[in-house]
Amino acid sequence: MKSPNDENAAAGSGEQDPPELELCDEDILDAMRHIPGYLDISTEDFRAVYHLAHRHAVERLFGRIRARGLMHAGIPSLAPDMMLDEAARALVRSGYKSLPVVDGQGNVVGMLTETDFLRRLQADQFLELLLRLIDDSCEVTHRCHETPVSAAMTAPAISVGIDAGFREIMAAFRRHPGRSVPVLDEHGRVCGLLLRKDFLAAFSLAELP
Amino acid sequence: MSLRAYLQKMRGTTHGSPPRVGTQDILWSWLGSFLGIAVLALLGQAYFDSRDLPLMIGSFGASAVLVYGAVRSPLAQPRNLIGGHVLSAVVGVACWKLLHQQPWLAEAVAVATAIAVMHATRTLHPPGGATALIAVIGSPQIHDLGFLYVLMPATIGPAILLVVALLVNNIPQSRRYPEIWF
Repeated sequence: MKSPNDENAAAGSGEQDPPELELCDEDILDAMRHIPGYLDISTEDFRAVYHLAHRHAVERLFGRIRARGLMHAGIPSLAPDMMLDEAARALVRSGYKSLPVVDGQGNVVGMLTETDFLRRLQADQFLELLLRLIDDSCEVTHRCHETPVSAAMTAPAISVGIDAGFREIMAAFRRHPGRSVPVLDEHGRVCGLLLRKDFLAAFSLAELP
Repeated sequence: MSLRAYLQKMRGTTHGSPPRVGTQDILWSWLGSFLGIAVLALLGQAYFDSRDLPLMIGSFGASAVLVYGAVRSPLAQPRNLIGGHVLSAVVGVACWKLLHQQPWLAEAVAVATAIAVMHATRTLHPPGGATALIAVIGSPQIHDLGFLYVLMPATIGPAILLVVALLVNNIPQSRRYPEIWF
């Protein structure tokens, strides 16, 4: 099973804003030829206007997106030494598909996801697990009762800061296939869970071309 | 800023000027400015000249370039056309009245102040500089007008150019005027 999370836990910072195409003089002059009448703007000024307008549009479309506003606060967390069956009950109660695993000091040490359970039970998909259950339910019980969360979880967790914007959140979701990332406060403690579906829903998609 | 950077700026940033407009555009610019100036000149001849009220001043030629030749330009919009001439005329007449003993100073202050006022009021219209200068250089007839110069010709003139621009510039499919009223 692949483990794509063996990277640094903090979200990458090298990510760029949505790319801006560099316009050369010929591009602008060609556009001007398509517009009848005299346009009293130099290509250099047009480029400056374009650049700033682009930045403004990016801010308009993506600037409002902050982890703080999108996350679910007050989520339960799991302890590393919890047994998997207990963790499974906590997950079901919470209604989330994954929960952060937090050590005694309050640091996020990993995420326990549904996929981690499947992996632990040596199944790639839910149906595969179902078939195995039919064949040998003892084996499954055994694997859950005797395995602590720390042995099954995805670690380290890819997290974002509470003030993370579009770039950081996008980078975090691009770095792992999970459906959620834990959100950390200023002291590095978990303060919420950011779901990918909420992140996607936050875009004013109607405004995009 | 280093001397090198200062001199570097004089090289300009861009090669080649904006493209030549189409032949149709040239014809519409010609027709618009012909009609605008013709209406001003005919009205002047027929009515105002005989009453010692000049309707035509040189700066209207420059306004015609903008309102019939660069229709989309922010400098050619009604706010700028009317506002630029009116405010510059006020500045020009005031400069003549206050500084006419030092003509060189009156001329320089008039143009510079007109530009500053147009900038500050978002009414920049290059021919306004000429309107301010003409108020100072004048003709004796213009000097005699005093602040009447602001109304006549500096308000009536551009207003007539504006009406002609509205009528002519909206005929061709490729043109529209104005972009912004105020």
